[in-house]
Amino acid sequence: MTAATMQRNRPSGFRISKKVLPYVLSLPALLVCIGILIPFFTSVVYSFQRYRLSQPWARQFNWGDNYISFFTDPRFWNTLEISLLYAGITVLLELLLGLGIAMLLQKRSTLNNFISIMLLMPLMTAPALAALMWKLMTNPGFGVLSYLASLIGLQDFRWASSPSTALFTVVLVDIWVYTPFIMILLLAGLRSLPTQPFEAAALDGVPRSFVFFRITLPMLTPYILTATLFRLLDSIQQFDIIYAMTQGGPGDTLTVFQVEAYLNFFQSTNVGRSAALMIILWAITYFLSNIFIKNWLRLRERARGQA
Amino acid sequence: MEHTSLLERILRGIALTLVVVFFMFPIVWILMMSFQTNETILRIPPQLVFKPTLANYTALITGKLTTAAGTLDIAFMRNLWNSVFLSVTSVAVALLLGVPAAYAFARHKFRGSEDIAFTLLSFRFAPALLVLLPLTLYFQKLGLANTYIGLIWVYQLICLPLILWIVRGYFEDIPADIEYAYRIAGHSWFATFRKIALPLAGPGIAAAGLLAFIFAWNNFIFALVLASADKQPVTVGALAFITSSGIQYGQISAAIVLSITPTLALALYAQRYLVEGLSLGAVKG
Amino acid sequence: MASLELRNVVKRYKSQTVLDNLSLSVADGETLVLFGPSGAGKTVLLRLVAGVIDPDEGKIFIGGEDMTDLDAEFRGVGMAFQNFALFPHMTAFDNIATPLQAKRSSQGAMKAGVESVAKLLKIGHVLSHKPRALSNGQKQRTALARALVGSPPVLLLDDPLRNVDAKLRFEMRLELPRLLADRGATVVYVTQDYKEAMALGDRIAVMSQGVIKQLGTPEQIYREPANIEIARLFGDPTINLLDVKPSRDAKGIYVGLSNVQVHLTGAYDATVGRDCVIGLRPEALRFVDEGTPAAIPVTVEAETPLNEKIVTLVRTVRGREILVSRPAGTPGQTEGRANIAVDGKSALLFDRASGDRIGSKNVVNLRSGEAA
Repeated sequence: MTAATMQRNRPSGFRISKKVLPYVLSLPALLVCIGILIPFFTSVVYSFQRYRLSQPWARQFNWGDNYISFFTDPRFWNTLEISLLYAGITVLLELLLGLGIAMLLQKRSTLNNFISIMLLMPLMTAPALAALMWKLMTNPGFGVLSYLASLIGLQDFRWASSPSTALFTVVLVDIWVYTPFIMILLLAGLRSLPTQPFEAAALDGVPRSFVFFRITLPMLTPYILTATLFRLLDSIQQFDIIYAMTQGGPGDTLTVFQVEAYLNFFQSTNVGRSAALMIILWAITYFLSNIFIKNWLRLRERARGQA
Repeated sequence: MEHTSLLERILRGIALTLVVVFFMFPIVWILMMSFQTNETILRIPPQLVFKPTLANYTALITGKLTTAAGTLDIAFMRNLWNSVFLSVTSVAVALLLGVPAAYAFARHKFRGSEDIAFTLLSFRFAPALLVLLPLTLYFQKLGLANTYIGLIWVYQLICLPLILWIVRGYFEDIPADIEYAYRIAGHSWFATFRKIALPLAGPGIAAAGLLAFIFAWNNFIFALVLASADKQPVTVGALAFITSSGIQYGQISAAIVLSITPTLALALYAQRYLVEGLSLGAVKG
Repeated sequence: MASLELRNVVKRYKSQTVLDNLSLSVADGETLVLFGPSGAGKTVLLRLVAGVIDPDEGKIFIGGEDMTDLDAEFRGVGMAFQNFALFPHMTAFDNIATPLQAKRSSQGAMKAGVESVAKLLKIGHVLSHKPRALSNGQKQRTALARALVGSPPVLLLDDPLRNVDAKLRFEMRLELPRLLADRGATVVYVTQDYKEAMALGDRIAVMSQGVIKQLGTPEQIYREPANIEIARLFGDPTINLLDVKPSRDAKGIYVGLSNVQVHLTGAYDATVGRDCVIGLRPEALRFVDEGTPAAIPVTVEAETPLNEKIVTLVRTVRGREILVSRPAGTPGQTEGRANIAVDGKSALLFDRASGDRIGSKNVVNLRSGEAA
């Protein structure tokens, strides 16, 4: 090759240095990051302020007052209790149900695959719309579920409009929407398990329960953990279903964190309290998400190893 | 094993039937309601056999509901349009911003790249209102309140982390040597990105885009907080229906059916990518 | 054409130093083989030259020009990868054509260029296939064709025969030298196969742990390996290595092998009384009649014919195993007791502690044919 051709290949014109290039490419993502962090820190600041939209003149730092008042505030304890209860119940039930369904569908067959695809439909339904669907079905006047309840002797079962059954109703909707999520994750997990241990156990005539608790469950643990943490993170922040169904009511029966913060902000215009609630919720999710991300990264590494 | 087989198969069959009924019933029921007149809906016991009517859909699509009391305007088509516009634009913007960033994160490990990726990921799990509440106040000051631009910008909170993390995984799966070979053959990084990386990560990008679309479409809280009636997507709009006077249950059902059809259709179309997408690549489907 | 030079190149990954202050120059048109175990830094070195990764320190010159800060596409090198790195979404033709595309060649020139190199490599009939429809051998040739098609002044070949079957490797080993010589390009060829290194290299650089341990012609590497490790890597069957402690008598320096004194020729004065290892190439040993001076009595354990030579495993009275190689068809002991003689001139002596070879240019009287 002559010097001339080498010359022609020389870089010319505008060129982004390779040191700078990755920064340029990720700049937009970085900006979005900053766009998240600014309101986040603003929330932190608000949470340390006495700040009501209705009384902007009285806005001032009251430092920990918003947080300290929580200790003596039964409304806050109610929020904390109902949030944890909601998250705990939904995730536990969805996990059991999801695992059960995944095991029913474990064998690859046309019917099983068809059912597992059908079960995706609730998951792909917007939770707010799902709540609306259930609201129509539980309408005391004409709702089909109210009618069915009356058939089994539950006259005047008032579903979401009664404080005693409101939690049950929203949990039901949550289960309807999100069980398929756990199901498809665990189904993928189950189907990726090596078959040898199971064949060996079957040959040796090991009892089913033993196989389930000693082989299936341990091998499935990473998937169960990922699915559970994923759901826990979502469920403790549930807003769509509860707000669309009852707006936190009746009374303060279902004022979980985000619903309570929303009501505080838009109804009581108490920005400070609302922000403090969100910071507490954030702290909980941050703690959970750190465990989750670690576990998830490990599983992800493993998945790419297989691929 | 053989002797339990029949009993077991019956039990399995019953269990599966119950599962299918529980998860399918609401969708089927709402679909049926959407073809009923208010009269049939209100009848007790509920009717399984009825004469289907398209009146609910006609009312929604024309935006005019004619009742005994007079004519009522329904803005549902506006909501549907908002959903389409917001979701499509948000995903397009997220792809435009996220795919190059995902490429940078996958290929050039640079100082701070992991931090940015993890910040985005951890806020995927943070409470939405934490960021939304201050944003409403900022948006009012900036004049972004109740604008499409403001909403699309906030929707990046959902779409961008999703696209970044899924697409990044697909880019990482392309052997670096393949890209090196193209560079050495005399092509610029941009040509390599366009001709090698993008086509090879194509299926992943499409899957991430579809998933982001579904999440954007299904989102409720962002628009509830930041949009007023004329910018609201179906999730918020349909909820407003139930409280607005004069609207009938059949129309609400029809609105729900129209609102969930796009995501269900996409989900069925792309179902083999869903597992991977929903778990951000942690579980290969 | 272009010469190639690396000057004090350092490459680190995290805390690990992969290339440690490495300098190397390759003359215009020369074929240099980088030989060494995996993890020695060979591939990293190629990538530094290609420009797809950057050195932490040092400079890289191609044709006398400093290329250190230049991106890969401006360096004018061709490279074939060990795993082929074909573009899976393009046909073989398009794969091969990519370097010509980058030069904005005309359609006609591109077609002619691809077809001529494809003909040379005998893959003309599969040009319309995608990589996944190609056999390993065809993939390898496609990758090679892509590296060659633009007639780059510098060719980097990263163990291109690693992932192909033995038969093809054998064929290519015969074909490649001619192919590379015809091109006249400066070639850096990475391999872990010493036969490939011997067959292809004008010079061989033996690498280990990020440094070049020895650089020389194939003959030099074979006859004067810098240390035990290199002696062991080059040669099939492997060199015999026996622990010895040289002594001196009136006739010179000798080592005791099975109570037989074997005198060494060379400047080994300093080794007297030191712990050493003697290296005896199987080719340098021969069976002799009983009673020959300095003959070592052994028992024949096994005999293995290897193509054009016969390798015999023998055991000394002290129980040490030794390999003896002789050309096929020559007489030798096949069983029972035998005697072997050591050629004191061809023996290599290493320091046992450091592993380095002792003495500089000891004269070796091997026929060069046996080196290959």
